[in-house]
This record gives sequence, structure tokens and C-alpha cells, in this order.
Amino acid sequence: MAEDTLNIYEKKAAEMTATNMITREDTFAKTKGGFLSLDCKGTHYDRVRVSRLFPFSDADRYLSIREYGNGDKEIGIIEDLASMSEESQKLIREQLELYYFTPVISRIMSIKDEYGYAYFHVMTDKGECRFAINMGASAVAKLSDTRLIIQDVDENRFEIKDVDQLTKKERRMLDLFL
Amino acid sequence: MNLVFELPQKIRDEIELTGGESIYYAVPIDIGAGGNWSTDSFCVVTTDKLYTFIDGEKISHEINELTKATAEAGVGGGMLVVKKGGEDVLVAHYSSAHMSRYAYIARGINILISGRYEKVESPEYEKMCPHCGRVIPGTKTCPHCSGNGGFFKILGKTIRPYKKDLAWISFLMVMVAVTTLLNPEVQKRLINDVLEKNGSLRTALVFLILMFTLSVAIVLINIGKSIATAKLGSKLSADLRRDLFEKCQRLPLSFINERRPGELLNRITDDTRFVAEFTSDVFCNLFAVFFIFIWDVFYMLVLDWKLALLTFTVVPPVTFFMLYLRKTISRVFRVQNKKNDDVASDLQDVISGMRIVKSYGKEEQEAERFKVLSGQFADIQKRNERFWGMFDFVLSFCMGLGVVIVVYFGGSEVIAEKMSYGELYQFIAYTLLLFQYVGWLGRLPRELSKLKSSLERIYDVLSQEAPEEDPGKVRDINIKGEITFDHATFGYKSYQPVIEDINAVIKPGEMIGIVGASGAGKSTLINLLMRLYETDDGSILVDGVDMKDISRKSYHSQLGVVLQETFLFSGTIIDNIRFSKPDASVDEIIHAAKLANAHTFISKLPDGYNTYVGEKGHTLSGGERQRIAIARAILTDPKILILDEATASLDTESEFMIQKALDRLTSNKTTFAIAHRLSTLKNADRIMVIDDHKIAEIGTHAELLAKKGIYYSLCAAQNLS
Ligand SMILES: Nc1ncnc2c1ncn2[C@@H]1O[C@H](COP(=O)(O)OP(=O)(O)OP(=O)(O)O)[C@@H](O)[C@H]1O
Ligand SMILES: [Mg+2]
Repeated sequence: MAEDTLNIYEKKAAEMTATNMITREDTFAKTKGGFLSLDCKGTHYDRVRVSRLFPFSDADRYLSIREYGNGDKEIGIIEDLASMSEESQKLIREQLELYYFTPVISRIMSIKDEYGYAYFHVMTDKGECRFAINMGASAVAKLSDTRLIIQDVDENRFEIKDVDQLTKKERRMLDLFL
Repeated sequence: MNLVFELPQKIRDEIELTGGESIYYAVPIDIGAGGNWSTDSFCVVTTDKLYTFIDGEKISHEINELTKATAEAGVGGGMLVVKKGGEDVLVAHYSSAHMSRYAYIARGINILISGRYEKVESPEYEKMCPHCGRVIPGTKTCPHCSGNGGFFKILGKTIRPYKKDLAWISFLMVMVAVTTLLNPEVQKRLINDVLEKNGSLRTALVFLILMFTLSVAIVLINIGKSIATAKLGSKLSADLRRDLFEKCQRLPLSFINERRPGELLNRITDDTRFVAEFTSDVFCNLFAVFFIFIWDVFYMLVLDWKLALLTFTVVPPVTFFMLYLRKTISRVFRVQNKKNDDVASDLQDVISGMRIVKSYGKEEQEAERFKVLSGQFADIQKRNERFWGMFDFVLSFCMGLGVVIVVYFGGSEVIAEKMSYGELYQFIAYTLLLFQYVGWLGRLPRELSKLKSSLERIYDVLSQEAPEEDPGKVRDINIKGEITFDHATFGYKSYQPVIEDINAVIKPGEMIGIVGASGAGKSTLINLLMRLYETDDGSILVDGVDMKDISRKSYHSQLGVVLQETFLFSGTIIDNIRFSKPDASVDEIIHAAKLANAHTFISKLPDGYNTYVGEKGHTLSGGERQRIAIARAILTDPKILILDEATASLDTESEFMIQKALDRLTSNKTTFAIAHRLSTLKNADRIMVIDDHKIAEIGTHAELLAKKGIYYSLCAAQNLS
């Protein structure tokens, strides 16, 4: 049956394997609702989603731009955010802030452990905050020898960019989790 | 979960409610305008309006201008988005802490949009206590605020059942203390009364016998005490282990899913072992040491208070030094252990992935990596051993120093005849005891805190609320096999539904084929059927009775399942098949094996049905394992049969044979069969296509082909028509 259905699969396979690069030619704009629209190679997308392909190792490179809905199909990849126009960079960064919320810890005021949970009081780039982690679960993940991602009981993520930058006192408080 | 928070007066003033309008939901927005944490922002939903107050700025939308609300999940946070005039509008940005809350809010707004006025309530528990800010360990109320928490309460609860053992051990501890302290006293008498004053041989003998008896008594009492505490420790940990295990089995799967598999294992094995160790190593000496310590200090003061005070000034610095050394040591050893773990897990990785390593020819690269790791480990170990070697010397030197001071000043007193020889001897003996026990006491806080965290981890599990079946509400039924999905909705996380609004009526004895893309939610749907999870919304009815009202025991005894990941317990083949019906006769088992097309290959194995399978046993092929699992599923002659990719690893011929066998078997059973290979579903009465969290299509093979939808193109792709 149906040559045409087989053709559909041919097309799907081609679509699946093709990688489309998004460059300065393609224009991003902010929608009234606060999201991002895109005009790319003659197609207009009302709303697109930006996701990082390497959120930990390369946060500003290899950004996947996807449709919103319609199976979240990938429209294309931005290889390097810095190569985009100033305006696009600003808009894309704004969206990334929305989709990725990972406060970076700059100072540890105190860590108290009690009843199997550790309570952190920290200063982050998003302001002062308190959170709790489950000591039994793998709440602290090491991205490298000095870089940590801490996940609290609410599944919020906090990052410590460089443990060596912390004071000796702060490191001692963290010792329990390393 | 609270969906109506107390609003600050300032915000309440800004909401003007018109007649009949009321506030339905009010929840915090914890990320403000600049993407920074915010503490005074709120999202408020009234029957007519949706307000946000973000960092003092008020925005409002009329509910009747909106067409849809969604709580979108991002990474580490999410956002509430509404559709207004055909366009998506960002309403609020919040962290993961409020993700579930906003999922309910979005649901609530959608209900209001549809013109209904039901209020959504969330059955989930809060994760953090709003009063004390502590984490609530999966219970309804905060154990701390409701007064069930606290280390000493937990400790009390743990040891209460062992009062008799405790009393006996305490008695022995007091005896140890008394005998230990008495010994130097007798020795003093011996020196003073006999040696110095040329006492008679008879008195010497009396003292010697006394000393001998004391020494023997010390040994005997200590042995008795060790036996008693070891017994108590193992009893305690065995009981805790049993409680933990039973609890884990009764807890919902979601609890186990949320934790690493190894973690629960650790709680059951390591934490309980630590409690046992603590009981036999630390606890058994606890009272004795305190008792001895206090009397030791008292005696020293009585003997010569000046010398005693002098000695006491030496004790703190020496103790601190010793503690410092110990701390350093434990730190370096922690690093060593960590590296050791790294090496072990790397090794495990390589060995279990040996086939991949070899087939890519990467042996040398892996060997190099391993060499580096193991070299690092060796370096650390070398350094530690050196450190360790020095530790004992330094320690005895410190203690020696203390004694030297006592001997020097005490000696001067003896020469000045202010003190007798015996007293000096006794004093030195007490000083040594003091050092010994101060060191021990210095270790105590650490041991206690370790005990505390072990107990806490244990009670974190024990204090979870397991859903209990109310025997008055549930009932046993004889299942005929009609299954109704009524708006069934479920997600592993409440804010991310995996299947949504499933509606279908399955007739008794019907065979339903379930197809859909990988990750569409097929296994999830049958997880609900198996009652591994409960629906978040809507319900599933069996013969018209809500599944929740049927007793688990009666339901599960009429259910047969073959899961996607075939799991065989370590044990023999016959044990594995018999698992579903422990009292099955051998005839029944062979019959089930024959139906599953497993008998032939089993009888060819050298050990037949006694072949040991499972983790370390005879390695069976994927298809062979599946056939055993099928035999296990049909052994009970279930009324509902669930096959999740049950024949996916089989060759077409065995699959065909099993199908033939199952055909006869499934005629009176409601069967759900998931398959990617559509030919497997040839005999299905109806096909259910799951796509985009929903039932996209349902109907007979012919009906769906005529529809030219998803099923049609799937068939085309697999060249069937
Ligand atoms: N225990 C779990 N916890 C959280 N998410 C899960 C869990 N099990 C499955 N999921 C997610 O739910 C979705 C549906 O999974 P499900 O196993 O039902 O898919 P499926 O249709 O059976 O796929 P397949 O055909 O590959 O077996 C997937 O996105 C999966 O990642
Ligand atoms: Mg599956």
C-alpha cells in the first residue's frame, strides 16, 4: 500500500537527521506575552523555546531552538550565542533565564544538619536564600573537582562554580558533602 | 498542599472584589522581575480575575479573556502561562519549590475558564514546614512541630522495648567502674602497708588475693557486659532492619523511585549495622566511663588537690592535641576511602562494560585511565600509612608527658614526705585512667552525631506514612474483567502528567493491544492497572467498582503480569515460576511452562527446573527469561493479564507458538498487550493508540486502518496491511 506513506517516512527520516544552523540572518523578536518568536528561512514561528545542549560544559554554545508544541521539533541550532546580533543575544539570554533557574552560590553563611537534612543559608547571584537538602540522597553532584551542583528537596538547583574560591571556613562547612 | 496563602495587608487592599467575587487561590511567586529571589510577590486568582503582584507591580487579567492556563516546567523552575487573544502570556516565574502548586493553580484557572466554579484542592503534602522551616519527611504533619521528633525522643522510642537488657547492662557497667577504681586503692595499700612498713606476709597475701580477685572480676564482668551489649546491639538492629524492610514494602513505589536504589539498601544494612556497633562499642562503655571519670577526678582531688589541679591543666591541651590529630586522620582517611570507591566503581564499570570496551578496542585506553586512578589511590594510601604510623608514637608521647609532670611534682611531695609512695602510685594510676577516658570522651561527640544521623535516616523511612487499607472500606471481589478508565490522569510528578484524561471501557475477556511511540506512556498506563501508582485525577473501575475499593490482596491474586524488564529472582527456575502462586503443584507449573513455550528449553538444561537463575546464576537469553516470566504470569490463571512487550525478545516462531497457546488461554481473560511489533497484536479485539499523553485512536484493526491515522501509518511503516 501507499507509496505516499513510505514517502512520508523518507521525509521524516531526512528531517530527523538534518541539522539546521541558525545564524544572524534569522531574526528573533520578543512577543507581547514575554516569549520569543522567530523568522527563519521564510517561516515564522509564533513562539520558540531555547534549550541548552550542554548546560554544564558549554552554557552559551549549541543552543537548540525548538518549536513550541507540534512535538517540540527542533528548528535549528545556534552554534555560538556570541555570533548572534546584540539584540538577539539579549532576547535569547532572557529566555534562558526563564527556562533555566540555577542560582550560583557566592557565599555560604551557614550549614546546619539535622534529622537527615542539611539546611543551607547562602548568598547567590539571585539574592540571599535558604534551602534544605536530603543528606541521604545524591543531592550534591560533582561536575568537576571544583564545580558542584546542589539539588534541594524542592528540586531547585544551586551551583558552586569553584569550591577553591570559597573561604576555608565555608569549605569546612561543605566538607560533609564532598 | 496549601493553595491559599495568607496575603499581606498591602496586597489585600489592592484587590477589589466585586459582589459575588471571591479569592480562590493565592500563592507566592518566588522569582521576581529581574530573575532574583522575591519574598513579597504573589499570584492571586479570584472567581473573575487573575492578579499578579510582582515586586510591588500589579497586573491583572480577566478570566473570561483567557482561553487556557498552563504550568510549564523548566529546569529548576517553571512558569505560569495563559493564552490571551491567541497569544501565550507569561504570568509568573517561580522556582521548583512551587512547581506542583502551580500545576494545581493552572488546573483551577482552566476550570474557571470553562465556566465552572469548583475549587481545586491538592492532596499532596507540603515539603517544608511553614512554621519551623524544617523539611517534612513525607508525613502529613511536621514531626518536629507535632512533637514526635527530636533525637532523644527517637532514641527513647528505639530503646524502650529493651528495658530489661538495659537495666542489666547498666548494672554491669557500674560494677566495671567500681572494680576498676578499686584496683589502684588496693595497690596503694599494698605499697604503703606492706612494702613500706614491712608488713607481714599474711597481709601481703591478703592484698595479693584481693588484687587477683579484682582483676578476675574485671575480666569476668567485662566479658559479661560485652556479651550482653552485643546481644542487645544485634537484637536492636535486627528489629530495626525488619521494621525498615516491612515499611519499604508497604510504602508507595513513588517513595522508592525518589531515592537512589543504593540509598535504601544502605539504610537497611549500613545504618542498622551502625546502631548495633554503637550499642556494643560505645554505649556499653558510656555509663562506665562517665562513672569512672567522675570518681577518678574526685579521688585525685582527695588524694592531693594541688597536684590534681596541676594535672588537670595538662589534660586539656593534650586532649585537644589528640582530638586534632584524630580529626586530621579521619579526614585523610575519608579522602582515601573516597578514592578507593572511585577505583572500585571504575573497575566495576570497565568489567561490566567489558564487551563494549573490547568491541571498540579500547583496552589500552581504559588500562591507562585505571592506572592513573589506582596510582592516585596508592599515593594517598602511602601518605596515610606514614601518618598513621606516627600517630601512636605521638599519642603515647603526649600521655607520657602528662605522667612525667605528675611524677616530678608528686615525687617532690613524696621526698618532702607530704605524700606516701602508695598514694603517688595510686595517683599515677588515676592519671593514666584519666587520659584514657578523656580521649574516649573526646571521640564521643562524633560517635553520637553518627548515631544521630543513622537513627534519623532510619526514622525518616519509619515515619513515612504508608497508605493503609481500611478493611472496612475495601472488599474482595471475583473479577469478571470489565475495566473502565474514567478521566484517568497520572504523572510521576504532579506537574508533569504522563497520561491525561484516559477514557475507555474494556469489556470482559477483551484483548486490547496498546501501541504508541517509545515513552508515550504505555507502561505507565499498565502501572496504574497494576496499582503500582494511583491516579492523580479520575479513576479506574473494575467491574464497576473503583479500584481503590478492592482489597489489594484479592485484586493482585487475579492479575498476571509480564513486564518489559524481565526480572528473575536469584533462585531456581521452579522458584521463579512458583513465585506468583506458592502452593502450585508441579503439574500446574509444568503446564504453565508448556503454555509459555518454556518447557522444551528448560528440560534441555542440565539442571532442568532446578537450574539456578538470577543475578549470579545460569545466564539465560532474553527470550528464555521472558518465557519464564510468562509462565509465572499465567500460573495463577489470572482474570486480567498484562503483557508489556512480553514477547519482544522472542524469535518469530516462539512468539507465534506462545500466541497460539495464549489464544486459548486469553479467551476468557481481559488482556492488555503492549507491543511495538504490530504482528503481535493480530489477535487483539481492539487497538489503543497512545499519543501525546492521550488515547489518540481506539478501535478494531479494520476500523483504525480505515481511519488512516497514526495506526495506519504505523502499519504502513511495518509493511502490514
Ligand atoms: N518511574 C518513573 N519516574 C519518572 N518518570 C518516569 C518513570 N517511568 C517512566 N517515566 C517517564 O514517563 C514517560 C512514559 O514512560 P513509559 O515507560 O510509560 O513509556 P512507554 O510508552 O512504555 O515506552 P516504551 O515503549 O519505550 O516502553 C517517559 O517519558 C518516561 O521517561
Ligand atoms: Mg514501556
